[in-house]
Amino acid sequence: MTKRLPISEVWVYLSGDPLFALIITLATYQIGYLLYVRARRHPMVNPVAISVIATCLIIQQLKMPYEQYFAGAQFVHFLLGTATVALAVPIYTGFKRMQGRIFHIWVALTVGSTVSIASAVAIAKVMGAGDNIVGSMYAKSVTAPIAMGIAERLNVSPTLTAVFTVITGMLGAILAPYILNALKVHQWWIRGTAIGVGAHGLGITRAFSVNEEAGVFASMAMGLNGVISAIGLPIVLTYLRPYLGF
Amino acid sequence: MISGLVQLFLWQGLGELLSKFFLPSIPGPVLGLLLLLVFLCVRGQVNADLNGVADAFRQHLGLLFVPASVGVVLFLPDLKTHALAVSTALIVSVILTIGVTAVVLKVCWYVSLKRHKGHRHD
Repeated sequence: MTKRLPISEVWVYLSGDPLFALIITLATYQIGYLLYVRARRHPMVNPVAISVIATCLIIQQLKMPYEQYFAGAQFVHFLLGTATVALAVPIYTGFKRMQGRIFHIWVALTVGSTVSIASAVAIAKVMGAGDNIVGSMYAKSVTAPIAMGIAERLNVSPTLTAVFTVITGMLGAILAPYILNALKVHQWWIRGTAIGVGAHGLGITRAFSVNEEAGVFASMAMGLNGVISAIGLPIVLTYLRPYLGF
Repeated sequence: MISGLVQLFLWQGLGELLSKFFLPSIPGPVLGLLLLLVFLCVRGQVNADLNGVADAFRQHLGLLFVPASVGVVLFLPDLKTHALAVSTALIVSVILTIGVTAVVLKVCWYVSLKRHKGHRHD
């Protein structure tokens, strides 16, 4: 006669398995994505934010330590590196359509990402945020997979960096049309590039839904911005770190 | 689809090796991205398999950083104390970034258009 497992033991078995963390992660994202499509891709209904909040609530309810969750979810996390490599494709597609605009885009990207980092770090620091938070502001305007790689190199929290990146993407996607209209910027390629630098992933989805050219330039700008920051930030910070005091 | 993934993994692997032995300050995947970009520029085209996988990754990039973002539970007390600083920094920075990038690009573009026209009249 087979002994029946008490329900609590089934639970212990499941929660120790990577499958459980994967199910919560993917299912909450899927639900978030369905809601996002339902809401006609409105940037407020961000599938990533929905998935993160729901997953946090679930693991807190279950008193599951984060380390245990991550041990399972790392299989999704692992693909970040591969997704970064895949960014070469949109950059290449953008290159083909730039035609003599490379210099302008290069200048704008460098100035834009410097402003992004300097403003966020300065404001957070002046308003008295801790070193952990200030440090994670450095890479927040870069697309998350690259941002987290940079964060690891800078010895700051990849988690906070990822969270700030997601929030930046949401804010950027919501605010971009108003900012660009107020500044009377009407060329699609310029609008796209600015959105790619400021609002990365989510901004791009928005840009593609409005205009194809804007989407292509946004994808390219996001990728290039990541590459420039990944190469430049560690070098610049090595020299500046003594003066920044973090 | 598998062929696209294999290509990406190979470039990523090459990038990781380069990063490990020669350029430790740059993340391996970023080097993989650069290598693939050079390869694409030399080849002059993107094969359909690679394009499909890259598109899928771009569309659902967000899913991949859910596991790391959930780690925010470890920082909640810290974030609550500094909520105002964090939100001000993020909002102001986003507005400045998008605005400045767009204006710089616009100015650069008009300057070069003018110069171009000037040359034509000479």
